Amino acid sequence: MALKVSSIPSLPRVNNGLARAIPIATTVAAAIVSILPVQAPGYAALTPAFTLMAVYHWTIYRPDLLPPVGLFAVGVAHDMLSGGPVGISALVLLLARAAVLRYRRIFINRTFPFVWAGFTVLSATALLSLWALHCLMQLSLLDLRTTMFRGVATVAIFPLASFALGRTQRALMETAA
Amino acid sequence: MIRPSAQLRATIQRTVPPFLILLSAAIIIVGKADQSMFESLRVALADDLSPGLDMLSRPFSVASTAFDRVRAFFTMYEDNLRLERENERLLQWQQAALKLSADNRDLRGLLKVVPENAVSYVTARIIADSGGGYVRTVMVNAGSEQGVSRGQAAITGTGLVGRMTEVGSRAARVLLITDLNSRIPVVVESSHANAVLAGDNSERPRLIYANDPDSLKIGDRIITSGEGGVFPPGLPVGVVTALEHGGARVEPYVDLSRMEYILVVDYGLSRALPQPVPVAGRASRRGKGSADEASAR
Repeated sequence: MALKVSSIPSLPRVNNGLARAIPIATTVAAAIVSILPVQAPGYAALTPAFTLMAVYHWTIYRPDLLPPVGLFAVGVAHDMLSGGPVGISALVLLLARAAVLRYRRIFINRTFPFVWAGFTVLSATALLSLWALHCLMQLSLLDLRTTMFRGVATVAIFPLASFALGRTQRALMETAA
Repeated sequence: MIRPSAQLRATIQRTVPPFLILLSAAIIIVGKADQSMFESLRVALADDLSPGLDMLSRPFSVASTAFDRVRAFFTMYEDNLRLERENERLLQWQQAALKLSADNRDLRGLLKVVPENAVSYVTARIIADSGGGYVRTVMVNAGSEQGVSRGQAAITGTGLVGRMTEVGSRAARVLLITDLNSRIPVVVESSHANAVLAGDNSERPRLIYANDPDSLKIGDRIITSGEGGVFPPGLPVGVVTALEHGGARVEPYVDLSRMEYILVVDYGLSRALPQPVPVAGRASRRGKGSADEASAR
């Protein structure tokens, strides 16, 4: 059960306050990017789950700097601004964090395709849960195709996000050294 | 500063995540039971963040405009031919429209029709959308300070976009006609059959509860009926593109994924009581142009 929480490992301490805020700041940025209007046909429905990418990346590499309280706040604010039912994003992000935290050791120091495969499993599970929750909220069977296409878009864009987050992380580690 | 002991920190670290997960679940349930519970909080947050979102959304629209320009450069010749043909056709329609509008004015005068209320518009820019496909709404950078209020119709030059739902002082949310919760009373223009346009989160909303579903044809124009008093009658909505059992699919006139600005329309329906002395030929014509042109097509 994902509710069982693994303890956060001790990682090199980052003393620079600004650098410590980077994981949560990038998660906030991901949430904002996902609600900005892009005038492309069908984009609104297929918007990749950017916040999930940030949560996956930081939970693997710097779980100490992505506190669950911050994640909860980002999730609730995202729901409020996007017009969706409040709490759903927060729930999915926190569950994703708990799940990744349990298995994070598997992903450290592995090749990128392995990390990407891990993200594919996570995003499939998370987006299907999101779909199921929305079906439950609306008491009707929603079209699963949109969710599937969204999953494909999310997995496809992950390498780009991972590269950007990796760069930010390296900058963060340099300030820590 | 007092630092919590290692044991206390470990306990907090262990209990906070499950607590927050349960809290999120509780919030979802409470929010579902009382839909208005988070509305004021939503509105306040949207108000506070709207200047920032407004600023952040601009590069996207600039990029989109630039992309359109590049594309337009390559399609200039075809576009020109198409527009020339279209212009020829529209000039004929203009003659027809002028004649019809003169007839209409005369007939309204003869029948002593109650003049329609004056219409005012608020132009608003879209600053956020819902991203994800489970909700079809957009946030705009105008609110009660600009004269927007709940229930007003949102349109573009081509047709109906949706209805204003949550309205703050500087920002408001538009429930698009494709949203699962959108229900718009409409009428089939050719047969005058009443129906309801129901969104289902797909690009093409469904036409349900039609008076006479068998008479629906592909190509039928759908306009608002004005029933229920939320929307004024006659706003162009879309066209029937597919027939289904007991209903049809309607393609909206507005391309909802490519909007940048919308018009919020105040038809003053709450004050729309009949005037005591209708004066012939004085029907208020301000702002009726787009609807008339569209229905002449």
